[in-house]
Amino acid sequence: MIDERIYQQFQEVGRDLYVQNMVSSHGGNLSMRLGDRVIIKRRGAQLGRLKMHDLVETGIEKNDSGVALASTELLVHRTVYKMTPALAIVHCHPRTAIAFSLSREEIVPIDNEASYLLKKVPVIYEEFASGTPEMAQDIAKVLQQYKIVMLRGHGSFAIGQTLDEAFFWSSVLEEACEIALSAKLIGEPFIEYRKMSEAYSRW
Amino acid sequence: MHGWAGKVLDINLSTGAITSSPLDMGIARLYLGGRGLGARMLWDEVGPGVDPLSPENVLIFTNGPLTASGYQTSNRFSVSTKSPLTGTVLDANSGGYWGMQFKKTGHDALIVRGRSEKPVWIEIKPEGVQIRDAQSLWGQRVRAVTAALGQSNHKRNVLCIGPAGENQSRIAAIMNDGERAMARGGPGAVMGSKNLKAIVVEGKQKPEIVDQEQFKFMLYETRKLLRASPLTSQALPEFGTSVMMNILNSIGALPTRNYQESQFEHAEDISGEALTDKYLVKNSSCWACPIGCTRISKSDGVEGEGPEFETSWAFGASCGVDDLAAIIEANALCNDLGFDTISAGATIACAMELNEKGLINSDLRFGRADLLAPTLEAMAARHDLGDDLAEGSLRLATKYGAPELSMSVKGLEMPAYDPRGMQGQGLLYATSNRGACHMRGNMLGLEVLGLPKLIDRFQVQGKSSFVILHQNSSAAIDSLVICKFTNLGVSEEYFARALTAVTGERYSTGDLIHVGERVWNLERLYNLREGLDAADDTLPPRLLQEAVADGPSKGWVNKLEPMLKEYYRGRGWDERGVPKPHKLEELGLATMMEAA
Repeated sequence: MIDERIYQQFQEVGRDLYVQNMVSSHGGNLSMRLGDRVIIKRRGAQLGRLKMHDLVETGIEKNDSGVALASTELLVHRTVYKMTPALAIVHCHPRTAIAFSLSREEIVPIDNEASYLLKKVPVIYEEFASGTPEMAQDIAKVLQQYKIVMLRGHGSFAIGQTLDEAFFWSSVLEEACEIALSAKLIGEPFIEYRKMSEAYSRW
Repeated sequence: MHGWAGKVLDINLSTGAITSSPLDMGIARLYLGGRGLGARMLWDEVGPGVDPLSPENVLIFTNGPLTASGYQTSNRFSVSTKSPLTGTVLDANSGGYWGMQFKKTGHDALIVRGRSEKPVWIEIKPEGVQIRDAQSLWGQRVRAVTAALGQSNHKRNVLCIGPAGENQSRIAAIMNDGERAMARGGPGAVMGSKNLKAIVVEGKQKPEIVDQEQFKFMLYETRKLLRASPLTSQALPEFGTSVMMNILNSIGALPTRNYQESQFEHAEDISGEALTDKYLVKNSSCWACPIGCTRISKSDGVEGEGPEFETSWAFGASCGVDDLAAIIEANALCNDLGFDTISAGATIACAMELNEKGLINSDLRFGRADLLAPTLEAMAARHDLGDDLAEGSLRLATKYGAPELSMSVKGLEMPAYDPRGMQGQGLLYATSNRGACHMRGNMLGLEVLGLPKLIDRFQVQGKSSFVILHQNSSAAIDSLVICKFTNLGVSEEYFARALTAVTGERYSTGDLIHVGERVWNLERLYNLREGLDAADDTLPPRLLQEAVADGPSKGWVNKLEPMLKEYYRGRGWDERGVPKPHKLEELGLATMMEAA
């Protein structure tokens, strides 16, 4: 039985992701680690309209009947939990960040908040963009060193101690990309205002 | 010297032998330093059944790969030993200057073994290491000894015990730089049992840093984050750790009168705000610390460092005392006698309840501020009832027939956070390897302060995951060794990158947390080898059975059982709390399982 307090966290973050255009109607997923168990969104459920029965509990190591219902990204979530200290994962499709990921190997924000919080976001690429063991491994390896990673043309995976925290990194990334896009559209020379910013790309 | 100095100093007080050997770098990479390295060395040095106060126990002083590097708060060091209070693995750490100076002597660790026939002190200088006669110092208090041995913050630093340690009180601290304490679990008693009064260090070696450019960037970014956080840039500098007093009281998680209540009606009178308004002389800080949470306070001619929040709680709310001047005096006296202020205050609170229930015959009653100082004097001298109190609350309460009135876990007194109003804090206390401790994982951050994000303090399901992560993280931070207050503004990601820059060894955030998990499991194995088991992972019955009567935590007990089950599973332990073979394999601890 999933605690009402936990359901509420899924519901709030899921709704906010949808409202903020960071997922399509049925896209993205969320999960939390509870000891050796994981609670994850049910396959096909809408993040913006999560009900209690849309949450599925299963093992991190072991399969049980929960896997029949879980999101197709379950493998990625399990692998990340096994290989990193994450207690929550937010996977979403931030549109501007996805657009940036199509033309670069990393996203280095230019705005203050994302520079401060993220420094740099790696972009990785997989031939089969969803749910493969190779992709799971690659994502988890990057998340050993970074809070958030972009899959080229697909979306972001962010980790945190809470769903709220992982949502925060996702939201900061998208905001950073929107600002960078606006700056490009304005098209005027960039005035560096951050001391030691040259080190961000080495982060 | 990149991160590690590469040397271990070994002093046998029974024979007078002084030797130096290379640090095992394989072990250093796996355990870093500080608490981790200390636990690993203790595993080999002190086997099961050793009396903690016998010559067979050792004191292992360690610094870490970041110590003296100049990274923010890289001043700390650890002592590891078998605790005379709890019988468990023990480490205690401290800030100030001694740890930095010790690193500059060119050593990562100092093992002190055996027992001297007469009182001695140790001097470690660039010219060599000497064991010196301490008969004239024996019996002297901490301030006097520190001054007599030539304390000078940046050049020569003194670590010593006071009368409490000499008389082997099981709640005696080891003091450094005058008023800093390696307090918990009784390491001062172990030092006293060895007839070792002091260790003085002078060093000249400067640690080398592999990637200077990246290190400078990490310094810059860390400073920026610490300045941006209101907690580390405003609350702690302005009010010290006692800023927590009113916050915890407001949510009904401030244990009062030996945990009989969870709110203190006079909390404001003993708060950080009151301390700053009435008694603060100036702020102070440890070496390389930009936070500066240390208070220099003065009352009725008594001037000194502190009191910290837990001290003001232990002698204040826990004893029902609202007189901050008396608390300042008790704190200064503890520092001079060499006591752990938490255990001292909590043990006096326990005695007050024993007395009020008619189980002992004493003047001690809740609210008797006037009796704090004389009781501490009696404890240090082991006079009358003070002799019983010097043994800590569990032995005291057991002797007088009411062990349930000791508010302790594994014999270590609980600090200032009521687990009925902070469910995760209860699990943290119950599973802490050295006994109840608030520094073994930052549930305060998650359940009260919202760091990194606020979680429901009454939530039970899923709480174990947070406890496990923060226990692992705290073990890693204690192995670097840096101050946990940096972690209030800066995440482990920064520590891992600073470690990489200093040592040239690549550590990710995940690697660093993995080190912490290894340390935690090794400590668990140590305790299992000593005969502790799942039954020791519990809380005093009061917290499991007596619901809070009033206030914001009204109706709550700590729901430990379901959290503990989830915790064991999450840790990869069986239902008896024993790490499973696959977990030990993963952590490189498989060969130690058989011994445990």
